[in-house]
Amino acid sequence: MDISVDWNWVFNHFGAMWTRFLQHLQLVVIAVVAGFVIALILAVWSYRRPTVYGPITAVTGLLYTIPSLAAFALLRPITGLTLLTALIPLTTYTLLILVRSNVAGFQSVPAEVLEAAEGMGYTRRQRLLRVELPLAVPLIMSGIRLATVTTIGLATVASILGETFGGFGFFITEGLNQFFLTEVYVGAILSIIFAFAADALLVRIERLITPWARARAETA
Amino acid sequence: MTESRHQAAVVEFDHVTKHYDVPTGKAAGKPTPGAVNDLSLVVPAGKICCLVGPSGCGKTTSLKMVNRLIEPTSGRILIDGTDAGARELTDLRRSIGYVIQQVGLFPHQTIGENVVTVPRLLGWPKARQRERSEELLGLVGLDPAKYRDRFPAQLSGGERQRVGVARALAADPPIMLMDEPFGAVDPIVRDRLQNEFLRLQETLAKTILFVTHDIDEAIKMGNLVAVFQTGGVLAQFGPPLEILAAPASEFVARFVGQDRGLKRLSLLRVSDVVLLRPTIVRPGEPAAQAKARAKDDPQGYVLLVDQADRPLGWIAHRDIPDFGELVEAMANPVSPTVNRRTTLKDALSMMLDADVQTGIVVDRNGAVQGLLTVEAVAQKMREGEHAPTYDQAAADGTEDAAATPGEADLAAAAAGTPPPAS
Repeated sequence: MDISVDWNWVFNHFGAMWTRFLQHLQLVVIAVVAGFVIALILAVWSYRRPTVYGPITAVTGLLYTIPSLAAFALLRPITGLTLLTALIPLTTYTLLILVRSNVAGFQSVPAEVLEAAEGMGYTRRQRLLRVELPLAVPLIMSGIRLATVTTIGLATVASILGETFGGFGFFITEGLNQFFLTEVYVGAILSIIFAFAADALLVRIERLITPWARARAETA
Repeated sequence: MTESRHQAAVVEFDHVTKHYDVPTGKAAGKPTPGAVNDLSLVVPAGKICCLVGPSGCGKTTSLKMVNRLIEPTSGRILIDGTDAGARELTDLRRSIGYVIQQVGLFPHQTIGENVVTVPRLLGWPKARQRERSEELLGLVGLDPAKYRDRFPAQLSGGERQRVGVARALAADPPIMLMDEPFGAVDPIVRDRLQNEFLRLQETLAKTILFVTHDIDEAIKMGNLVAVFQTGGVLAQFGPPLEILAAPASEFVARFVGQDRGLKRLSLLRVSDVVLLRPTIVRPGEPAAQAKARAKDDPQGYVLLVDQADRPLGWIAHRDIPDFGELVEAMANPVSPTVNRRTTLKDALSMMLDADVQTGIVVDRNGAVQGLLTVEAVAQKMREGEHAPTYDQAAADGTEDAAATPGEADLAAAAAGTPPPAS
């Protein structure tokens, strides 16, 4: 097999790379956002009823162990070769990380802050939305970063569902099938760059929405 | 403050009890920490009532039952006659200022935002919130321009506690609950915060429940002091002077400490004592006339003052010449001067430091008002002890025997005060 890079191929496929990037982005964004919403609900639930936290982490942990290839194969008869088949496992895999980080975020809110909020007449809902959630952001965001980077890697596997899925993973699958390593390199490197870029972007967002956390770090 | 004053409210505990489930095992049978047992007391409007006692005595529980962070097992808490238990919960809490030891500022909000937490919950217009925030920061001695946009993490402990007080005052509540508010700062800052708060309270006149484990803080801050003992029992409730003068039980006596006589002196001021009138003489007065006037004076000294009645010095009777005029050179330097606001403790210590028996009380312009003697201070200290202290009652086997002067002297001596001058 030729291990050298075919630069001609690279230069002729910028358009395809852009298309695959959009596909990849779609998979990751939907999976992480859906996963976050579900994880947030589960986290609030287990924060209020600590007894459900154990079972929730057990179930999300179990789901996390299902190999992605097996999951795609199992779902195919039900949901067919659709985006949904790709998204269900990707979303499920984020839950283990996101539920834990969200719960840790809520637990990081200092007890005296909660007491002050309650004593001053916050309703439970106001306290959740205006105090606990904002203060949980640093830990929640660390979970989102980890989930995003993980999902970017995992999403490449979705390319086995067909050429309309998998984003950069398509290059890798096609390159392997055709013994054309240049395409494998491109798929792998673009995935890695995507992961780094997404992580950097999330760090920027976190800094933007938590100016107070930086004030703390500077004085600490 | 431009806010219209809310009337301070009367807070009444009416047979309030809080039971916690009796723990099993080792602790079974012992009083549960934080329990409150049939508490009844009334805090009049505009007064500071300090709840003091050892840890686990139920003082914090009592406080938290007012804003219903803890619900009583039985009994009622009445605010201006209305049962707090019947009020809408968030509405009740927003009408009560709440300050806790760890402050509990919101780390994600600026100081300016933190301060107007309750006004924001009450839906005040933004402009009014901003205005109020500046006003409050000024009130607690923090420059709004400097602090408004900072985050809590950028403030010192003392500054944070000021913000905590400002936040509790934001919606001008008639009642404030303060749970060891100055417990987490160093003694020097604590003393300053206490003094500033007392000054604030002079104008605010809120009804304040103030929890502390420090009897000195309770005596200093409280118009009334409620001493709790383990098991959530109210051991004594009254003005600080009364608690110091006549502890109701051995527990209170021990809790208040051996030096309660001295503590009383820190609560009394020169204005509480009947001052002696010195014989006043002026430079230029014929000496023979001064000598004649001094004959009836028990002090043995006359006081030389200038045109504005400011003291120049003492002249002993025997040093007054038989003829000629009085001149300043005849006078010995004056003893320490105090004013009517000086505490007796400070006055006594000034006199002892200067090794004199008499201090001169002057007004704001330095003009002589009268004389304060060590003896008068000691007399004042004894006055509070007309009821026997617990220890004496126990020794005598009598409950209500009036202390004889001899016993009072002993008590004063035992309290660590020097005996009056002979």
